[in-house]
Amino acid sequence: MRRVLIVEDKDTSRELLRTVLEKQGYVVIEASDGEEALQTARAEIPDLILLDLHMPRRNGYEVLIELRKDQRFVAVPIVAVTASAMQGDREKALAAGFSGYLSKPLSLANLRSEIQRLLPEA
Amino acid sequence: MPASTAAKDKRTTVTERPKKTKQPPAHPESLEQRYLKLLEAVPDAILEVNPHGQIMLLNQAAERMFGYSREELLGLTVETLVPAALRGRHHEHRASYADHPQTRPMGSGLELEAQKKDGTLFPVEISLSPNWRDGELNIIASVRDITERKRAEDRIRAIREQFTVELSAKNDQLEARNREVERANRLKSEFVASMSHELRTPLHTIIGFSELLAEEVEGTLNAKQKRFVGHVLQDAHHLLELINEVLDLSKIESGKLELQPELFEFSDCLEEVLTGARQAAQSKNVRLENRSNFAAQLYADRTRVREILNNLLSNAVKFTDSGGNVWVESSVNSGFLEITVADSGIGIAPEEQAAIFEKFYQVGGDNRRIREGTGLGLAITRQLVELHGGQIFLESSPNRGSRFTVTLPLAKTPAFRSTVDRKQS
Repeated sequence: MRRVLIVEDKDTSRELLRTVLEKQGYVVIEASDGEEALQTARAEIPDLILLDLHMPRRNGYEVLIELRKDQRFVAVPIVAVTASAMQGDREKALAAGFSGYLSKPLSLANLRSEIQRLLPEA
Repeated sequence: MPASTAAKDKRTTVTERPKKTKQPPAHPESLEQRYLKLLEAVPDAILEVNPHGQIMLLNQAAERMFGYSREELLGLTVETLVPAALRGRHHEHRASYADHPQTRPMGSGLELEAQKKDGTLFPVEISLSPNWRDGELNIIASVRDITERKRAEDRIRAIREQFTVELSAKNDQLEARNREVERANRLKSEFVASMSHELRTPLHTIIGFSELLAEEVEGTLNAKQKRFVGHVLQDAHHLLELINEVLDLSKIESGKLELQPELFEFSDCLEEVLTGARQAAQSKNVRLENRSNFAAQLYADRTRVREILNNLLSNAVKFTDSGGNVWVESSVNSGFLEITVADSGIGIAPEEQAAIFEKFYQVGGDNRRIREGTGLGLAITRQLVELHGGQIFLESSPNRGSRFTVTLPLAKTPAFRSTVDRKQS
């Protein structure tokens, strides 16, 4: 079973993502800040990471850069999730090395299709 | 006529005049006496100096100006009248004048001073003229006391300096205020951006969980529950739209919204927007018609043109009652594509027509029939059109309908502000 790491500091938002993903048949792992995200990711090596950009203790960009340095995470899809809606945010995220970009509030359809795109076999 | 005869004639003429006034002078004045009076009437000091520098002749004004009597001055060297500090070299200046004797101002470009008997110095202007007599060069010096003029000039200079100081202080104030305004604007933009972020975060879970409920994956809902969840979703989306529009407007106003123009088929773009609007039109029984025949490419920000068309079309449908018509026309006029979104709807009263492009204005005020919408759509639409270098016009009459016409430049113009332009330049 494919395992997805949800990195998100807000409990309700984590629960929402977990509910949707578990219904889709994924195993969900959670982390609630940047530091925890790094530890959990290295310990579990998930198949996909949903990474909130705005978090305490290391933001999403810092976590991404750390993970991409690690050989084991070069090919793991990491999707930026953010409530920021400034022009150029998506381009900036993709340029930094994110595999996808989801803006909050996200539609469940968008979330499902983005994960489908990045984990086609599941 | 010889000069002497001319002088004689003039003398005759002048001496005759007093007779007419019946006050004949006891002794007729000689020409020399008259010249003497002329000399004495001059406010400037006039001195004649011989080759040794001695004062040979002077007028009354010279006595007054320097504070010496005529007897004291006669025979003194002219250096007596030169400030003590400069006296030593003055004979050299006299010698150099003797080399080029011609009428000219003394010490041209310099500020000259003279010294009175009591030692006080005062500013002067001096004009020198050569006067050859018996093979010797005498110099006639005409000295003007310019104390008053200097004082006036100094006053003007002081006023000007004060003015300059005040002006520069004002400039500093203005610059400080500009920086303050820029800072306030930046803070406002940052505030709107962070507010948008903070509002979107809870909206994310409101919309997400509502969607989950509506999908009934956690259990079926009865009809009423379904409708309630539908209301939550609809208003959450409305709130999201409002937040997005406020953010958009803030970006436009802070100059942060950059157009990303490209060449695209206008008719495709219009058809996409019409497809989106068709559902709303059908559900209201409003006929939606595409009468546009512009079949060329447009160089503009496609996303923003869609937004413009969508705002106008959804307004038109919104304000048109069942059985009415909404249609789109287009034409080309002097380098501009003119797009008109027309409807047979409720129209807009003349007194409201200018205000509808203002932020948060909604037609009909508190008694309006239609309350949905943010009141920002047309303000944003106008800004987007103007960013493209176009204009928006409205013709409308109540209960007859409205025609919104947008013009967009067909050629890429220098007025076109965009990231692409900047990259190319």
